[in-house]
Amino acid sequence: MSTIIEFKNVDKEYKSGEHILKAMDNVNFTIDKGEFVVILGPSGAGKSTLLNLLGGLDSVTSGQIIVNGNHVESFNDNQLTEYRAKNVGFIFQFYNLIPNLTAIENVELMKDIVDVDIDGLSVLDSVGLGNHADQFPAQLSGGEQQRVSIARAVAKQPTMLLCDEPTGALDSKTGVLILNLLQDMSNNRNTTVIIVTHNAILAEAADKVIRIKNGQIESIAVNENPMKVTDLDW
Amino acid sequence: MSLSKKMLRDIKINKTQFIAIFLMAFLGIFAYTGIYAEYYGLVQTSDGFYTDTNMADAWIYNTDFDNASLDKINGFTTQSDRQEVIQSQADMESKPDITLHFIEKGTISKFYATEGEDFNPNDDSGVWLDTRFAEARDLKIGDKITFEFDNRTITKEIRGLGYSPEYIYEVSPSSLTPDFNEMGFAYLSAKAYPEDLKYNTLLVKYDMSDKDFEAKLSSIDYLSLTKKEDQLSVSKFSDEMAQHKMIGDVFPIVFILVTFLTLLTTMNRIVAHQRTQIGILKAVGFKDSSIILHYLSYSFWPVLAGAILGLITGPMIIPQMFYPSMKTNYSMPSWNPGFDVSFIYIAGLMVVLSVLVTYLSCRRISKENPANTLRPKAPNVSSKAIIEKSRFWNRLSFNMRWNWRDARMNKFRALMAIVGVMGCVALLIAAFGMNDSMAELKSWEYDDIVHYESKLLLSSQANPMELYYVLNETNGSFIMQQSIEIKANDVEDTVTLLASNNTDLISYTDSNRNPIDIDEGDVSISTKLADKFNLAIGDEIRWHIVGEDDWVTSKIGQIHAEPISQGLIMSPDTLKDQGLNFTPTNIITDEKFGENLDSIKSVTTIDKMKESWDQMTTSVMMMVYVVTFVAGALAILVLYNLGILSFTEMEREIATLKVLGFKTNTLRKLLLTQNIIFTSIGFILGIPLGFYFMTLMMNAAGDSLYYIPTLTLGNIALSAVITFAIAIGVNLMFSDKIKDLNMVEALKDVE
Repeated sequence: MSTIIEFKNVDKEYKSGEHILKAMDNVNFTIDKGEFVVILGPSGAGKSTLLNLLGGLDSVTSGQIIVNGNHVESFNDNQLTEYRAKNVGFIFQFYNLIPNLTAIENVELMKDIVDVDIDGLSVLDSVGLGNHADQFPAQLSGGEQQRVSIARAVAKQPTMLLCDEPTGALDSKTGVLILNLLQDMSNNRNTTVIIVTHNAILAEAADKVIRIKNGQIESIAVNENPMKVTDLDW
Repeated sequence: MSLSKKMLRDIKINKTQFIAIFLMAFLGIFAYTGIYAEYYGLVQTSDGFYTDTNMADAWIYNTDFDNASLDKINGFTTQSDRQEVIQSQADMESKPDITLHFIEKGTISKFYATEGEDFNPNDDSGVWLDTRFAEARDLKIGDKITFEFDNRTITKEIRGLGYSPEYIYEVSPSSLTPDFNEMGFAYLSAKAYPEDLKYNTLLVKYDMSDKDFEAKLSSIDYLSLTKKEDQLSVSKFSDEMAQHKMIGDVFPIVFILVTFLTLLTTMNRIVAHQRTQIGILKAVGFKDSSIILHYLSYSFWPVLAGAILGLITGPMIIPQMFYPSMKTNYSMPSWNPGFDVSFIYIAGLMVVLSVLVTYLSCRRISKENPANTLRPKAPNVSSKAIIEKSRFWNRLSFNMRWNWRDARMNKFRALMAIVGVMGCVALLIAAFGMNDSMAELKSWEYDDIVHYESKLLLSSQANPMELYYVLNETNGSFIMQQSIEIKANDVEDTVTLLASNNTDLISYTDSNRNPIDIDEGDVSISTKLADKFNLAIGDEIRWHIVGEDDWVTSKIGQIHAEPISQGLIMSPDTLKDQGLNFTPTNIITDEKFGENLDSIKSVTTIDKMKESWDQMTTSVMMMVYVVTFVAGALAILVLYNLGILSFTEMEREIATLKVLGFKTNTLRKLLLTQNIIFTSIGFILGIPLGFYFMTLMMNAAGDSLYYIPTLTLGNIALSAVITFAIAIGVNLMFSDKIKDLNMVEALKDVE
């Protein structure tokens, strides 16, 4: 297995007036290609900060983030945009689909930012939504919208999928389906999937579990035999 | 209490938006009240002047009003006052024409003294002089002045300077604008007349309809009658006011409508944007009424402040931009902006309507249950339009598809943008179109029709020998220009007669500006007049020269078009055929004439004529500038406001697109495309609307001017440049916002 993501001594501080909030404090970890990673921690621990730094939405105060051998922390705005376009597939708690575009259009939208030929219908098929292709987000249920958002994220064949509480707005049954889909992406397509959640049950399904607390790494555990998401005791 | 804190902070955070609301309310009311205040000012000041001076209702002319005929007329009038009105020359350089009024009582059309004594009908050695003439000639109270008329000479001392309601407009038939150096009027006591006085004019006031009055008068012998509205100064000034009114009827209403619409959308949007907050306030237990009251103050205070400021500054500033140019053409003792209660109603209506819209959108939200309100509003579900099902759709870029859908799902916002731009473009087009049409008139008159270099005004006591000398010296040509009164099909009008031989110095034209000949023996009437009287070739008209008694009947032989003076044109011989004398009033020549002769009162060069044209049109041009400025400002506000609204609404989407990896430039183009499409549609629709406004205003531009509404490609292009520059400029303001958009923040919560 090859390491594709590495955090080296990453610090992140937020200044508000004279008050300094340390959101990341000397964070170090690596993630291998195709790993299904779960980042756990209570709210305010710095999970989202970690994801934002990795996704190129925010920049570090000090330290290095190396993705595919590139130093993300040294990128300027344009390089960050390019990085996000090529390497990162985001999946948000509230889906963040473009309401004006149909499901298939939301997926094929990615053609505008990456040089990949995307067959929107087959991508939607792969998330089980082939027959909803022409519907607008507002016409879909929450779970369906999240599946469109996954389809949109995988369509551009990114290095990693970054998922911020992807089931936070869904009922548990639908949530399992979504997580199962994400696990399949990791297992079958060798896509690196990183999920931020506060739901500890998911830890048993992960290849690697990173626990953080107060901006610091509490533990990093590797599961030799991760369970299938559908087999977990929800 | 805490809610008012919230409001103040909200205002602080959204200050651009609130400033925009304030500015819109201000600008709408400012332009509306300002332009109307100018018009009402003219109406009120002139009405006040007429009332103060007890302006006559009619002037009856006769060779002599003796006591017997006066008694008869007094039987059906409420007041009367006799005058002898005579043309004289003041004994000074270039012998200016002064109209002398020898007055019996001085109770009607009173002299309005602004300096020196009031008029005294018993003072036989004083004269009350036209203050404009006195200024031009630097005459002071106490100066002596000598008048010559009918081989008599009188010298009087100036007792007072001032104005007369009969001379708000004073100009000779052969020039466009008043030359106060060459003409004026003077009021004297009847006792100042050198010998026994016969009165040729009777001023009357009556309290019956004009028709009844004329019927009563028919039993009396008199030469002619002029009613107040037909009096030259009165009718010219009311023409001018009518033009201002028409401009005032079109522009402020467009301003106010555009302002209203934008204001209403904005308030609606602000409240919609606060949806979740309304939910929170409800959830923590605020009463609906206090929530609604809270949001009402959002629109109430800025709109109220803007409306009040506009109400105060509009009438103060805008009229003062017009009055200076009005003063050069018209004479009144004071020029004050008018005020009308309707200003307050309009300002009040604006406040009430914006509050009402806020109330309605607020109530709609507060009626939902709090849990619902806390969630974002479900977007409008739309079905696919036919175009979206076609193959063509799939070939469209994301940009076009996104904008098409955005417009479809936010129809009201799209409509507002288009209507706003349309209104502004229409104003620009109308303003520029007026500018164009004025320029067109000028070039028509001074390039196509007038080919002489100078126009010499002849003294009424000119020496014929001298005149022929001048004619030979200058290779010139005699013309006669007189005011005439014309009647046909029960319509009356005072217009201009031009009698001239065919000469290279004047070309007659048709409505297409093509040169035409007016044949010997033909009486030609101008197109505008023919339309007004509903006359065609072969019809008959009755007319006489103002100040002469012989009415003649002529058959219309031709129709010509003249941009700046309406009336009849014929050759001197044709004039004689009608039984009238050809008395030259001017010599026109292609050469310069510099000699100082008694027979030549003044020389006007073509350049001077163009200058007086420019002077005459200053107030229209001023209107053009004001309208252009306000339309531009309004366009900025409308587009900026709608821009900021759609930006706030799309902030989350834009953040998402940015997170997904769209470049700032692509996103900027997304908004720019929308902006440009709306602006283009508004622009295209605004052109015909603007042309229509322009036609409206031209029609009211006064009787003497024959306008052909003109719109050049250049001005359409200029309007386009202004509109699109504003649209793109406003868009640039949002570019930085896109760049600085904090993706994490924008995605964090649903709000």
